Amino acid sequence: MRRVAGRGLLVCLTLAGAVSATAQPVNWPRENPPSPLPAREVIFPPYEVRTLANGLPVVVVMHHEQPAVNLRLILRAGAASDPRSKNGVAALMGQLLDQGTTSRTATEIAETVDSIGGIINVGVGTDLSFVNVLVLKDSFEFAADLLADVVRNPLFAPAEIERQRQQVLSGLQVSYDDPAYLAGVVFGRLVYGFHPYGMPHNGTPESVPGLTRDDLRAFHDTHFAPNNALLAVVGDVDAEAAFAAVERVFGDWERKTLPPPPSAEMPPPTRRVIVIDKPGSVQTAIRVGQVGLQRTSPDYLTYDVAIKILGGEGGNRLGSVLRIERSLTYAASAEMASRRFGGDFMAKTDTRSDATAEALRLIVDEVARLRRERVSRRELRNAQAYLAGSFPLTLETPNAIAAQVLESLLYGLDLDDLPTYPDRIDAVTVNDIQRVSRAYLQPQRLSIVLVGEASAFLDDLPGVGFDTVEVLSVDELDLMSADLRRSSTDDGNPRP
Amino acid sequence: MLRVTPAVPPCRLRWVACLGAVVGMVITSTVVETAVRPPKLDYQLHTLDNGLTVILSEDHSTPIVHLQLVYRVGSKNELPGRTGFAHLFEHMMFKGSRNVLPDSHLTLISQVGGDGNAYTTEDATTFLETVPAQYLPLVLWLEADRMATLRIDEATFDAERQVVKEERRWRYEDTPFGLLSEIMYDQAFSVHPYKHTAIGSMEDLEAASVEDVRRFFDTYYVPENATLVLVGDFESAEALDLVKQYFDRVPAAKQPVPRDIPREPSQNEERRVTITENENWPLPAVIVAHHITYDGHPDAYPLHIAAKLLSDGQSSRIFRRLVYDDQLAVSAFGQGHIIEDPNLFYAVSIVQPGRTSEESEAALIGEFDRLKTELISEQELQRAKNQFARDYVLGRATVEQKASHLSHAAVIHDDITTADAEFDIFMNITREDVRRVAETYFTSENRLVLTIRPPAPGGRSFLPPGGGQ
Repeated sequence: MRRVAGRGLLVCLTLAGAVSATAQPVNWPRENPPSPLPAREVIFPPYEVRTLANGLPVVVVMHHEQPAVNLRLILRAGAASDPRSKNGVAALMGQLLDQGTTSRTATEIAETVDSIGGIINVGVGTDLSFVNVLVLKDSFEFAADLLADVVRNPLFAPAEIERQRQQVLSGLQVSYDDPAYLAGVVFGRLVYGFHPYGMPHNGTPESVPGLTRDDLRAFHDTHFAPNNALLAVVGDVDAEAAFAAVERVFGDWERKTLPPPPSAEMPPPTRRVIVIDKPGSVQTAIRVGQVGLQRTSPDYLTYDVAIKILGGEGGNRLGSVLRIERSLTYAASAEMASRRFGGDFMAKTDTRSDATAEALRLIVDEVARLRRERVSRRELRNAQAYLAGSFPLTLETPNAIAAQVLESLLYGLDLDDLPTYPDRIDAVTVNDIQRVSRAYLQPQRLSIVLVGEASAFLDDLPGVGFDTVEVLSVDELDLMSADLRRSSTDDGNPRP
Repeated sequence: MLRVTPAVPPCRLRWVACLGAVVGMVITSTVVETAVRPPKLDYQLHTLDNGLTVILSEDHSTPIVHLQLVYRVGSKNELPGRTGFAHLFEHMMFKGSRNVLPDSHLTLISQVGGDGNAYTTEDATTFLETVPAQYLPLVLWLEADRMATLRIDEATFDAERQVVKEERRWRYEDTPFGLLSEIMYDQAFSVHPYKHTAIGSMEDLEAASVEDVRRFFDTYYVPENATLVLVGDFESAEALDLVKQYFDRVPAAKQPVPRDIPREPSQNEERRVTITENENWPLPAVIVAHHITYDGHPDAYPLHIAAKLLSDGQSSRIFRRLVYDDQLAVSAFGQGHIIEDPNLFYAVSIVQPGRTSEESEAALIGEFDRLKTELISEQELQRAKNQFARDYVLGRATVEQKASHLSHAAVIHDDITTADAEFDIFMNITREDVRRVAETYFTSENRLVLTIRPPAPGGRSFLPPGGGQ
């Protein structure tokens, strides 16, 4: 499909082509899409929030169709709270939460959870850690007990630490062969520098071996407290029973004085192109972006619409240009990551090695165009139609509802804004999009990461405007060094 | 889009106070003798004059509707030299029809706040949309338009072929262990088209012609080969009228849909293969695979139970032995890929640095053998059933999931009642059933032992020497 100015012209060409191209039923009518049925009312489903005396906010979303209950606990501390020299401690701590408590061994936890058909998930993000316990409704009280135990009383047994450390290191070994992982962690370092948001969540081959049991305990002692947590109880449970169970297992959890949040300056956006040479690759992973907005920014919603026009659902200029027009990729997109203290936007695609320079130029051009030109009314309207129109799809499951409530609580947003999301989307104007694009996009200062077979595209980069490029191999990569490169005295083996 | 996932049938649960090996006083107070049984799906089944199967299931909990249109054609219907074609064709279904411009199908859906997608498996190709409920006429109209009048031309076909090649590079070739399934199936099968995976080979994608597209469309994209499922906020009578309005006018097939798939001869001696993969293979992988039966065969249900025992949760046998206790593996699992024609039950170990492939092989084979030599415990059987019940409940939370259960029953089982009836079948599986199927299928003659190694050692390692202990 070519980009043709004027929709009418394209229609004529297409219909003429179609008639000659296929043997179609003679009687098949030419017609426009049918009108919709009368619209249904969309109601944000009910939920309830109460806060325990110790400061733990508890959300209950009842849903009685399927006999399951999910308990979701979020702590407001994640990998960004790793001490600088202890990179990966939050992630390792998280992996150990369900590997034994002061009253249950790892094996006992696994046996009991599996025997009732339950699931326990633990994990660590940038700004948060979480524990989810999901059970069929009969086991709700057990699930509450288990959740409280793994959150409050993890043992961090030395043998379990070594097991999980081994898993993290083996996992990193696999990840260092994964272009998507490499592109993501290097992009983080370029955009955020040494700000905690730029550090790899799981640590590095250099940092993980040095983490100690005391480090894990210290992280847990510092950040795990009711006044630093959120809890949701979701599913086939009565609200009063849910609150009573939560009070029973978390009511005596003591408040703590919390440390100040991680504070560090975001580096200013700087143009930098890093190529990670991975010989034998058939594609190049391309990541392009820069610092964006924190979640609480008043411009968050508008900028999100702008980035969706660039590369998201309901818009996606990148997909139109790179996939539909030029067949350069299976997927091209752009998205915002917005956290408590900052965020970024990232455009990404993966393309065959010899098309790397072309695809990179097209992405950078689209970022520049979004800043330079006003978006058309129609393009904005399409994006709004998707974002506002899909609102009922986001309310289908109780977990999806709970996720929206938890996100609001986590970032201190107004819960009353949840039901008005479609209205707030519809209020965005073309001028708003242009204002935020001009305010926040700096196309001359993009962070760019290319992971692939360097010899297949390096010579093409100057021709598309990128003549200053840093190239390093995977084995030279050191995420903790300012230039991302191992020092020359380093033999490439992990430090003890 | 291509998604190859085994469809796992649901199961039945019975909570019993079976403590035995299960540890801790917690259990005593939490496991009770009640059956937590999810509600049955309520549906209607119709067949239009042109042969289209129609399934309607009302769900008024959210004002949305999900449409799923399943064509009973997948990569196992591909001819030699045309691997990957069913999936490539799936992409062509987004390239326009008489009333729909190329690439505008998904735009028309997103403009009403809907989501659309498609995926291709070995057995079927599924097109799906979820939209706010009032847009049911739009998605019916869109699907009927492309079923009747797909636009097929050389230029769009060549362009989309490039997109699919990028998909193959991205999803399989440049991802660690991405080619594991492709290598395994190529080694395990000789003549059945399950020998190749749905993405196909680059050579065959290159060889496909626009004439192939036309023939495939005329042969398989006909109403009698399709099942339309609607789940969501509608009144069935009104929805059926709309279905008829848009689909009755799609002409019936001119010839019967071919079903001649080559049969795989039985394997009579163990196959052992070692392969070196030069790219994107960071650690050795050991695969132990056995040929099994088809989805719906009575043996299929105990095989699902065996998969639960081996791999569901941190107390499952393979995880416990290979990953936790002996630390032979970074990751290890076993599962039955139980689909329309007989496929494989396989276990995989990604070998922990410092440990050997031979140790993983022995441990995996040991776990298969143990299912034959020892009856599983009552507790393990009950645990597996409880895990099935959980999957059953969690697997029916959305309109899309409900539609998938209904379409799977109707298309693959050719019996929509199995969407609910399998719960009772699982309920009645015994320990002896599990041993019987293990004895039937997990034999050495029926086994493939495949080791896939990275290039010569000396590569990157983040572990201290002698690690893995």
